[in-house]
Amino acid sequence: MIMPLIKGLQITISHMFKKPVTLQYPTERPDVKPGFRGLHALNVSHDKAKCVACYLCPTVCPAKCITVEAGEDANHDKYAAKYEIDMLRCIFCGYCVEACPVDAIRMTEQFELANYSRADFTYTKDRLLEKK
Amino acid sequence: MVNLTIDGKQVAVEKDATIYDAAKACGIKIPILCHDKKLHPFGGCRMCLVEVEQMKGRLIPACTTPVTEGMIVQTTTDEIVKARKLVLELLLLKHPIDCPVCDAAGDCDLQNLTYEYKVNMNRFVDEKFNHEIDYENPLIERDMNRCIHCGKCARICDEIVSYGAYTFINRGIEAKMGTEFDGPLNCEFCGSCVSVCPVGALNSRPFKFKARWWALQKTKSVCSYCGTGCQLTLGSKDGKVLTTIYDENQGFHNGQLCTRGRFGYQFVNSDKRLTAPLVRRNGKLQEATWEEALAEVTTRLAAGKSDPASIAALATPRLTNEELFLFGKLFRGTIGTDNIDHSAGYAHEALTKGAVASFGVAASPAEIADVQKSNLLLVVKSDAYETHPVIGFEINLGVKRKGIALRIVSDKKGKLTRLPGAKTTVHAPGNEVALFNALCKSVIDQGLAVEGVAGLDALKAAVADATAEKAGVSAEEIAAIAKEFASAEKALIILPIGQGYPGHNAVLANAAANLAILTGQVGKEGAGLLIMGEKNNSQGAVDMGIYPKGTGLNAAAIIDGCANGNVKTLFVAGENPVVSYPNRKKVEKALENVEFMVVSDLFLTETAAMADVVLPAVSFAEKSGTFTSLGRRVQNVRKAIPAIGLAKSDFEILNTLSQALGGARYNNQGEVFTEIAASVPAYKGLTQAGLKDEGAVYPVALSAKLVPAAAKAAAPAAGKLALVTGSALYHCGTMSRFGEGPMYVCPDAYAELNVADAAALKVEEGDQVTVTSGTGAVQVVAKVGKRVPQGVVFSPYHFGEGSVNTITDGAEVTYVSVAKK
Ligand code: SF4
Ligand code: SF4
Ligand code: SF4
Ligand code: SF4
Ligand code: SF4
Ligand code: FES
Repeated sequence: MIMPLIKGLQITISHMFKKPVTLQYPTERPDVKPGFRGLHALNVSHDKAKCVACYLCPTVCPAKCITVEAGEDANHDKYAAKYEIDMLRCIFCGYCVEACPVDAIRMTEQFELANYSRADFTYTKDRLLEKK
Repeated sequence: MVNLTIDGKQVAVEKDATIYDAAKACGIKIPILCHDKKLHPFGGCRMCLVEVEQMKGRLIPACTTPVTEGMIVQTTTDEIVKARKLVLELLLLKHPIDCPVCDAAGDCDLQNLTYEYKVNMNRFVDEKFNHEIDYENPLIERDMNRCIHCGKCARICDEIVSYGAYTFINRGIEAKMGTEFDGPLNCEFCGSCVSVCPVGALNSRPFKFKARWWALQKTKSVCSYCGTGCQLTLGSKDGKVLTTIYDENQGFHNGQLCTRGRFGYQFVNSDKRLTAPLVRRNGKLQEATWEEALAEVTTRLAAGKSDPASIAALATPRLTNEELFLFGKLFRGTIGTDNIDHSAGYAHEALTKGAVASFGVAASPAEIADVQKSNLLLVVKSDAYETHPVIGFEINLGVKRKGIALRIVSDKKGKLTRLPGAKTTVHAPGNEVALFNALCKSVIDQGLAVEGVAGLDALKAAVADATAEKAGVSAEEIAAIAKEFASAEKALIILPIGQGYPGHNAVLANAAANLAILTGQVGKEGAGLLIMGEKNNSQGAVDMGIYPKGTGLNAAAIIDGCANGNVKTLFVAGENPVVSYPNRKKVEKALENVEFMVVSDLFLTETAAMADVVLPAVSFAEKSGTFTSLGRRVQNVRKAIPAIGLAKSDFEILNTLSQALGGARYNNQGEVFTEIAASVPAYKGLTQAGLKDEGAVYPVALSAKLVPAAAKAAAPAAGKLALVTGSALYHCGTMSRFGEGPMYVCPDAYAELNVADAAALKVEEGDQVTVTSGTGAVQVVAKVGKRVPQGVVFSPYHFGEGSVNTITDGAEVTYVSVAKK
């Protein structure tokens, strides 16, 4: 009866003197590998978002979490008057990036997305653009 | 029939079929870019190349090659695929790869074929076009950089619309699809060119960037403007109708629409829609709950039940059959008043009195399909094109493709009068009946009348003194038309009716019917009389009996009753008498005087603004039911989007009232249709499900009879101009004012003058003029042209500002003086 208990404790105590195998987050930072699919960012070119509001990403998104509304700018060109991702529903599959015909969206290395309210998980165009 | 083999399949087709048609008939798809089933073969793109055993050595375009007996056709071999790929590569050489920003993407033939044929590289390089893009046009955006020179737009505009706005200009690599002097597009804006453009060179501007084609929910329904009853597909998303989608297989018209159907849908989601009931408190309309509003209406109607004669009700023929039936049942049955009517009372009389007297049925003996089957069309008023544009397309096609003779009797010229071979007899305004009487007399005098028709003697006596002079036209013209009409194998009279045409009443319907009956042009296909109701469900409103049957008051008498206090409660479902009934002042006074008025409408119209209770109703896109188009076709209307705000359908409103007043209650509008099928004889055996997409034409049993029609002697006033009212091409009733499309093109009331009259009055195009009659005066914009003859002014009736009913009083012709403001 007592023997298994002692055996178990032995293992536990022996580990206290070994090197940890897990990453000591948050004191230790992970080494994010290329191709990691973190928070989205909208690419910018000539001071404008590259997105032309083609609606391919909302069409392909399996989680249906992207909302795009197109607008017409002064030059009669199409742009995303609204571009929003509901990060609570996103499954970080990266299809949006793959679908984009103009390389307007990418996924960054940022993975710390915890927040306090639901509303904070709605990433509007402004928030997605901020990270150049 | 011709027998041939396509990809190993045996097929037999008509001898005028092409290889493309034959392949289609046996389910083999040959890719096309420049071909359209409605248009003459063109053979410009070479996408449809196929191989024919008997013509080895070269590839043959399937869309232009007629079939021959024993042909053996291959539609896909390596060589063919290679050739088609080359065609696409060459097109993509100049075509900008704009797909991400092009509204055609998803519905683009070039995109689809490029994908299908896996054209992912190009052997050639060249510069793209650099044409200026027309962004100015409010309805059609033209980006000729994307044009693939298929010529469909020019062909449809020429062959079917008969407008001819486009043609290829320049040559070789510079060739482009151009407009008159390469200027801005200023046409009928029917959008036919947009609908057939295989790429995104022509786009609907109101729909620009609104949504992707694949994200649209597509609902097949029926246009809610005129009586033609064109089928259309509504494209909606997130509870909004965003566009109408072209479907070449819809309806007799193969998806063709006029400017109202194509670009006039915005009224559905207009900001001006009523979203909550309004009740008048302390003299002001204020928002209220449905319970409050309906309680007030119920109390009023319940109190009036003891004196049903004090209650009257007007309905618009835009409601569905189900709603109109319930409307009739509520007022005639539950409440017990016969004071119900629609369309100002006079606009349906050609059917409810005219056709009834002449044919024994309150419907046209002819149907729409007869237009193309006829040999001679006699159109009353060139306006038939403006009132029912897609019937106009049928006439265009009949005249140009089938060589149908076209005769027009009209008080002005118009688009139809310019068709090849069309002969127009311009008569003095208001002389239509005299003219038909003269025609009948001439038929009799020339010995062309068929013997033994009922009422022949009475007619002979009645037209004994009818002469061409009385109609204001030459005797030769009358004799010629009479002869042609009588001797044509099949001749059809086309008579548009509506609130803009007070002269197109029962008497004119009788007069026109007389000619058809007298010459034996009834009871056979392609002949007879086609009475074209103005609104989407004008025929349905007649079928549902929305007019006084016994001693009840008609619309004009209801207005008088409101004025003299006999009518104390008025229920108005969608009508706008203030703008569309004659004599605006009188109508306004009457409606001010009536004790209690309820209006259900989509908008706070001029009439609704005077009501005590306003109930927000829904548009055709927010409800299901049936409409009956002219020519008696009953068609399904389907709900595309949820109701806007708190609005309810007239069915729901009437159903609630009916129940509250102790009448019938239905669980859904479908039950009402079942009851219609059981109680309206013409609709016997019909079911909504059975109507499917194409609808059903109900049959009529005619008992033709000649009915003498008394011509009123026109009394022209010296020095005055004859004002005739009617419809503008871009509008229908007063509802189109709430659609952006029509308002971009035709925003204001106008008066159209002849150049000579305008010169005499020193009025120029665009001037503000005051038109004064015995009834009142109104200010409108002047339009100057040669369409109306000297001495005549034309003004459309749709507008609230400068409404022409300020100066009319229900007469066929109003004599007015015009002066520069
Ligand atoms: S990563 Fe996937 S789930 Fe997230 S927005 Fe993109 S497509 Fe949608
Ligand atoms: S796919 Fe790219 S261009 Fe298209 S809407 Fe998404 S981000 Fe914008
Ligand atoms: S909109 Fe109609 S009339 Fe105008 S160019 Fe196109 S097809 Fe012709
Ligand atoms: S504009 Fe469109 S329909 Fe007209 S020729 Fe060009 S591609 Fe064809
Ligand atoms: S308004 Fe009349 S002609 Fe035009 S699309 Fe609608 S039903 Fe057809
Ligand atoms: S479709 Fe046959 S040549 Fe264009």
